[in-house]
Amino acid sequence: MTDKMPTIVVVDDSATSISLYQFSVEPLAVNFIGFKSPAEAIPYLQEHQPDLLFLDIIMPGMDGLSLLRHLRSFAHQKDTPVIMVTSKDYDQDRSVAKQLGAVAFLIKPLRFKEIRDIVCKHVDIKLK
Amino acid sequence: MSVNALNYIRFWGVRGSYPAPFGSHMRVGGNTSCVELRVDGHLLICDGGSGIIPLGNSLMAQQNIKEVTIILTHYHWDHISGLPFFVPAFVPGWKVNIYGPGDNQQDIERCISGQMRDPYFPVEVENWMADVNYLKSKNSQLEYGPFRIETFNVHHPGSTFGYRIHVHGKTIVYASDDELSFIDQSIENRRDELEPQEFELIKAMQEEEREHSLDMIRNAHVFIHDAQYTPEDYAKKRGWGHSCYIDTANFAIDANIKQLYLFHADPNYDDTKIENLHRETIKLIHERGSNMDCYIAREGFVVDIDKL
Repeated sequence: MTDKMPTIVVVDDSATSISLYQFSVEPLAVNFIGFKSPAEAIPYLQEHQPDLLFLDIIMPGMDGLSLLRHLRSFAHQKDTPVIMVTSKDYDQDRSVAKQLGAVAFLIKPLRFKEIRDIVCKHVDIKLK
Repeated sequence: MSVNALNYIRFWGVRGSYPAPFGSHMRVGGNTSCVELRVDGHLLICDGGSGIIPLGNSLMAQQNIKEVTIILTHYHWDHISGLPFFVPAFVPGWKVNIYGPGDNQQDIERCISGQMRDPYFPVEVENWMADVNYLKSKNSQLEYGPFRIETFNVHHPGSTFGYRIHVHGKTIVYASDDELSFIDQSIENRRDELEPQEFELIKAMQEEEREHSLDMIRNAHVFIHDAQYTPEDYAKKRGWGHSCYIDTANFAIDANIKQLYLFHADPNYDDTKIENLHRETIKLIHERGSNMDCYIAREGFVVDIDKL
């Protein structure tokens, strides 16, 4: 892990989902950090701007859209590319995500290659 | 069941989507979501659908209680449309506490007051003369009198809560709007595309998410949950944010629920259809070898909390 590699952050209350992301980006030259709840993620995100942030929606406590709204109040997170990945496929949630500047709204389940492709689309990275 | 029981749950509105004041629907009831919990003289109200209107009127006919706490699952009309007509909110000397999804108390007030602004309603929330307080939770928990309330997020459009309520050693879970099996179908739809390793991980993720959902309701004495659709209607209305009664019953059995109340009745279903749906649910419960009791949530029905 080097400081020059982009950082991908995932917030999802499913440890298995985090493993799925981690496995998907393993061939890529990225740093990967997973958090299992907004409460765990917020202290990190208050200090760091990831190159790409994946957010689940249904999580314990604060949901993913509320977390995104909270993050956008930090000056350094106003333009962070955020992808919502959720099992909830509702227009109301898509609309809110769009208003909050999410760059994509994806429905679970996602395949390894789909995750890699979307990371490569939004972050300038190389293969290991 | 007589309301002379001191501590009870009472259903004032059980219908989903919109009120259904039709003669063919009166055994189940036509008002939209509102459930009262009354314990030790404290009144907790789940949702402010049209059922909160007769509840409010009944409160004006008594003198002992002058404070209520209303917990809203979300702000779709069928869950808030009774609030502009909730009389205690307009009466000085009353205290009305309101909680619901939102980033802060101002957010909750904004969501409530929006339906009472010109041109939608002639009277604004500023005319509420009760002491109205918008509550903030701490770590997704609230306390009110003997009630300890935990919130959790459910599968429905927008931010929508379920509530796990602890009182007098009993647990009552209220999740009026919740689509249980959406991800199951999403995974099934992609089954043929997935490589074996992907499928194993995705199935493990599905099981983990199901366990998380079960943990929110596990071992509850009373589980009041969305059971709006038959399987035939759910096939056409997948993605509308509501559950088929079969999924609700299986979910409740897996969570070791003592009493299941089939809630959020579809406004298009008459009494006969809902009673048939209930019979099918009982049959399913028996086929699974479960001892769980199952009831239709009917308007006016009362449950003695201390006898659970």
